[in-house]
Parts: sequence; C-alpha cells; structure tokens
Amino acid sequence: MIHIRQLDFTYSSGSGQKALGNICLDIEPGRYVLICGRSGSGKSTLCRTFNGLIPHFHPGKMEGTVTVAGRPTSETLVQALFDKVALVFQNPEAQLFSPTVKRELAFGLESLGMPAARIERQIAAVAAELGLENLLELDPHKLSGGQQHLVTLAAMLALKPRILVLDEPFANLDGRHVQAIRRILARLRAEGLGIVVCEHRLRPTVADADRIVVIDRGTIVLDGPCRRVLGSDLRRYGLQVPLAVELSRKLGLQKIHTDLQQVASEAKDIPLQEVSPSPRATGQQAGDVILSTRHLSARTGGLTILDDINLEIQAGSCLAIVGANGAGKTTLLRHLNGLARPSGGRLLLKGKDVTRARASALARHVGTAFQNPADQFFKLKVSDEIAVTPRITGNLDQGWIDELAQRFGLEKLMQRAPFRLSAGEKKRVAFAAALAGKPEILILDEPTAGQDADFREALGKTIRDLTETGHAVIIITHDLEFAHSQAGRWIVMAGGRILRQGRPEVLMADRQLMDQAGLEPTERFLWQRYCAGKKRCLTPGPS
Amino acid sequence: MLDPRTKLILALMAAAAAALTDKPAAAAALMAATIAFIIRRGALKPFLRWLAMVLPMAVFFGLVTAYGAGKAAGMLAAIKLAAITAVFFAFFIATGADELGDALIGWGLPFEAAFVFTAAMQFVPVIGRKARRVIDAQRCRGIPMEPGWRAVRHWPAFLIPLVLQCFRLAEELAEAMAARGFGRPGRSFTRTFRMKVRDWTALLTGALLLAAYIYCQG
Repeated sequence: MIHIRQLDFTYSSGSGQKALGNICLDIEPGRYVLICGRSGSGKSTLCRTFNGLIPHFHPGKMEGTVTVAGRPTSETLVQALFDKVALVFQNPEAQLFSPTVKRELAFGLESLGMPAARIERQIAAVAAELGLENLLELDPHKLSGGQQHLVTLAAMLALKPRILVLDEPFANLDGRHVQAIRRILARLRAEGLGIVVCEHRLRPTVADADRIVVIDRGTIVLDGPCRRVLGSDLRRYGLQVPLAVELSRKLGLQKIHTDLQQVASEAKDIPLQEVSPSPRATGQQAGDVILSTRHLSARTGGLTILDDINLEIQAGSCLAIVGANGAGKTTLLRHLNGLARPSGGRLLLKGKDVTRARASALARHVGTAFQNPADQFFKLKVSDEIAVTPRITGNLDQGWIDELAQRFGLEKLMQRAPFRLSAGEKKRVAFAAALAGKPEILILDEPTAGQDADFREALGKTIRDLTETGHAVIIITHDLEFAHSQAGRWIVMAGGRILRQGRPEVLMADRQLMDQAGLEPTERFLWQRYCAGKKRCLTPGPS
Repeated sequence: MLDPRTKLILALMAAAAAALTDKPAAAAALMAATIAFIIRRGALKPFLRWLAMVLPMAVFFGLVTAYGAGKAAGMLAAIKLAAITAVFFAFFIATGADELGDALIGWGLPFEAAFVFTAAMQFVPVIGRKARRVIDAQRCRGIPMEPGWRAVRHWPAFLIPLVLQCFRLAEELAEAMAARGFGRPGRSFTRTFRMKVRDWTALLTGALLLAAYIYCQG
C-alpha cells in the first residue's frame, strides 16, 4: 500500500541537514507498525511523507520515491490521497475546526463529494463504534482532552481509509483513555485496517504492534518483528523499553515478553537477584513545611471544582499530584501558585497567609514550568529568557544562572533564540527559567509529556539534585512510571478532591482507590509486588 | 425557522432603520425591541457583558459628535451606534456563523471563503484561551500582568508568545485541513439552505416596514 524507496528529505526552511535519509519501508493494510525513536529523530517527518504532506505542504528537497496505492506522492496532491492514508496529528486543538462534532466528522466526507444520506450513515456508524453518539451536537473545543482525541480519530475513521497513521496518540492521555484507544486500534487492525503509530513511549503500544521500526537521526536503524527488535539495545536510541521487556532480557528468558504476567510465569523457577539499585524516590528525608493549604476549596458556575484540600509541602521533598483527566490537578496547581483565588480556605507560605497574594508576587517563592514552554518565550536569546524572573524580582545572580545553564546543558544554546530550539531544549529552558529566581518550590506541569527517555533521565537527575539542595518539587502528571520513580509522596485526586495521599506503593496497593481515581498501578509496582514473596528482588533501573 | 440569509437581510434593514432615524426615541425603541428579543433568547447575561464593552465606545462616539454638532446630535449618535451593534448581537445569537457560511454558499460564495469566515469565528475562543495561558505563564514568572496599567509596560511578554502561537496554530490547522481534503474539487454539503415562502414573506414585511419608516421620517 505504502512503498518508500531510498527516500531522502531536507526541509527548505531548516539548517540544510537531512531530516530523512535512505528510508526504505513498506506498510500494508492489516498490520500494526510502531515507528519509534527519540524526540527529533524524524518520526513526524516520516509520517508526513505517507499522505503527501511532504513534499506538497512542507517544501524541501526530496529524493527517492513514496507511492501510495501505486501513485507517487510527489505527483499526487494530498487531497487525492487523504481517504487512503489518514493522518491523525498530535495536537487535537488544531484539528478541530467545526462548530459541532457531527460537522467535524462530516468534513472529510464532504470533501470526497459523498451524498448527504451516505455521510449521515457513515457518521452514525463511526460515532457508534467510538461511543461518540451523545457528543455529536456538542462543540468539539469544549470537550475533554480524551474526547477530543477520539473525535479526531473518528473524523479520520469516517473516511474508511486503508491505513491510519497516528502521531503520538497517547500524549497527554490518562491510563483509562490510553486503554480505550488501544482497544479501538486493536479492533480496527483486526478488521483489516493498517495501523501506524509514531511514539517514543513503547509501553502503551508494544504489546499490540507486530512490527517495530526504530528511527534515529532520520534513518531507519532497526526494522522487524516486535520481539526481535525488542531484543536489541533500544536505550541507545533514546527509547525506554517496558519493564517486562527489560526483565525478560535481564533474566535471560527464552522469549522477550511484553507482559509482566508472562515474565512472572516464566521466571517463577529462576532465582531472582538484585541487578541494579532502585533509584531513590525523594521525599523520605524532608525538612520544614514550606507551602500548605488549609481546607482550600474553589467553586465556579455553581460547581465545586476543589473541595477541602489539605496538604503540606516540605523542603527537600518531591510530591506528585496524580489523577485522571479532569480530576482537578491543574486547578489545584493554579491555586498553589496564586493564579486562582480560592473561594474558601487558606494558602500558607512558610506559615504566612498568602491566599490573596498575586501570582506575580508569589513567583519569587514558587516557580512554575508549564507544559507548553511556547506560552512564555518572548526574548531573542535563551540567556535573557532565563533571566526574566530574577530581573523583575531584583535578585539576579549570574553565577546561579550559569550553574543552571550547565545543569540543564544549555551552555551552547544561551545566545540562540528560544523559539528555534527543539521541544526538549525548550522544556529545559523553561525549567531553568522557573528556577532562575531561586524559588523554594518548583511546580512542573506534565514535565515528561512528549519527551523521550534521555530527557526523562536528565529530568529525574535534576529533580533529585534540587531536592537534595532543599527545594520542594511538585510534579503534576499522568506519567505514573515517572512519578513513581521520582516522588516519595503522591496525592491522588478525583472530582476536585484528594482521595488519599501517601507513599506511592501504599496507594497503588489500594485497588479500590486506584479504580476510583481511574489510575493503573505502575509496572514497577506490579513487579515489586510479585517479588515481595521472593527472598531477593530484581529491581528495575530508573524510569 | 428562517433562512440565515433572511435573518441577515432583516438585521441589515433594522440597522438601516437605526442609522436613518433622527429621533432618539425611535432609536431607543428599536434598541428596546432588540433587547426584548435577546431576553427571549435567554442571552441577557452575555448581552450585558458585551454592552459593558460597547458603551464606552458609544459614549466616546457621542462626545465627538456632540463636540462638532451639538449635544442632541451627540446623544442621538451614541444611541444609534448602540442600537446598530445590538441588532447585530441579536443576529449572531440567532444565527450560527457556520449556518450563515453554508447559506451564503447557496448564493454563490466559494466554500473556501465561507470556511475562512466560519473558522475565524470558531477560533476566537481558542485564541482567547491561548491568551489566557500566556498571561498565566508570565504572571508565574513574576511579570505583573494582572489587569492594570503596569501590565501595559510588559506588552511584549504577552503579544510575542501569542502571535507566534497563532502562526503555529494556523500552520497546524492548514495541515489538518489538507489532510481532510480541503480544497478538493467536487465537494458535497450535508446541509443546504433553500429560501421558503416564510422567508419571502418575512423579507417583504421587513421591506414594507422599512419603506413606511423612511416615509414617516419625511
């Protein structure tokens, strides 16, 4: 269906470096292909060659051939291919341009010139398949993130394509939505649709895919059946393999498993041994309370969005706030850094009431790095961008900024424009900027979203360094594996309330709590529980 | 239910009536009738919010007119401006931008032009949310962007990230539209509008009322 031969591509707007080099790839309907690689490896560029967006939409120098159903994409417009190869992009906000979900689903079918009655039938069928029947008359921009992902997926499935390509479909989704999309993709594949998923997180996809293509610096470095590729060293390509795969290799099992149950079953007769030390989750030896809330509550439009929140954040600790989409995590964040005023209760900073303090005044004490660094960049140089907060608050310390630059690996980027950096580099600049004013507390909003294993590892080290120097770090995340490896304490939220707080292992052992919060225990926890009955444990490395 | 084009023409007629009057009472009566319609549609709250934005502009317009043409003319100008904008507020609560776009396609407007109009309306709240996120991010960095004169000094911190993100959004949007066949010839439409007897009746009644009104104005 899609045949790529000796494809080279260089963006005309880029640095002149090849974005793709010598790509040879065949993708057929009925197969599930996972294309993975570190951030900036060329995954998204490759996706855009499948339906002709490259070279028609993104101009550049293209050599080699890409054919879709026998038609070369270089000579065929995107509009002639979109119903054969459907591409779902990462950002749902930019893919929803109709006033209702129904109109959104109809858009592509209308482009095909389909009669109205047939459009109605296809919309009804796809809505039923994805459980969107009750959303058809709603404004897609007012839906939750998970629902928006489903609508973008449905808009493409309505076209009945032969191949469905999804660029990072699991970013920003909680465990429940990840499972829902996994089930849908598995069903579609069984019905004969070709699925291509581009991801750097292997865990949600690896059990479903039957082929893995690893791309690094624009070239395919590994391509083959799942188990064979998983048997290779993927860490060198910035990929974090699922724990089951890692354990299969470390235990020398006959097969590489993607499921912990299978590992446990095959490993039951193998004596376990300790192969690597467990990383220290921070928070065990915390100091004084810096920030706390007392019966904090918030209401909007007659609805309670935060209800009786009581928490304490100690110096030298790392706290993770976890919960499903819509649990109230972001609302709580906005109250902790002064962006929102509570309707009841108090916020205390080192014992002083700061409930009515402005966010800009609290910035000296509470640094926040939001999920999207592009929301804040306005200087022409990274060095100026990092120094914004200390210049405003009057505590500029060039030595500290140089130290941050070194810690985040930004020394060579200091004179560059922040807008032109890669996604990972932008995140690092945002973290350095949040710390430049020497706040006692650092809040990280979804810090690992869209980031590869290299970045996660570097971020984990930074968090440990910060807590060791007495900072308190608050992570708001869906990434429970990361939260488990970094935070000594979790706060589990649902419906604007704290369901429970405590050590992650204790909370994950409470199945009822996890169900209520819409969360799934981490692989690390599941394996630790399996090992609990053994005399010695095989503990995984850093997540 | 009237065709969106009928509603548009009726709104233009009402706006013309407001523009042509030289009696403050007549403009005020038109405004009152429009407000009654808005209340009936259950949109009083958003109308009052909108009025809070428009009133300073109307007062300013009135003051400028009063300076050149006298107090009475100034008051009339302010009321007329408020009445005309109220008419279009009422029109947009009664007619979705997408409905209007689809109906205008029936009059020969190219789909691409109608889509740009509809999408522009659709993305106003999206840009609004982006603006909110930029302000929040900068406040958290210590930049005093809370409402007030101090925020004005920091306009680049607001405008630069917002404009850059709007460009990015436009690029992503165009790519997503191309990936769903935007611009492919032979497009069909699930919703088409046709002028019915009630539309022509409403238009005729509106035209007669406007003619009578103009005649009465002398």
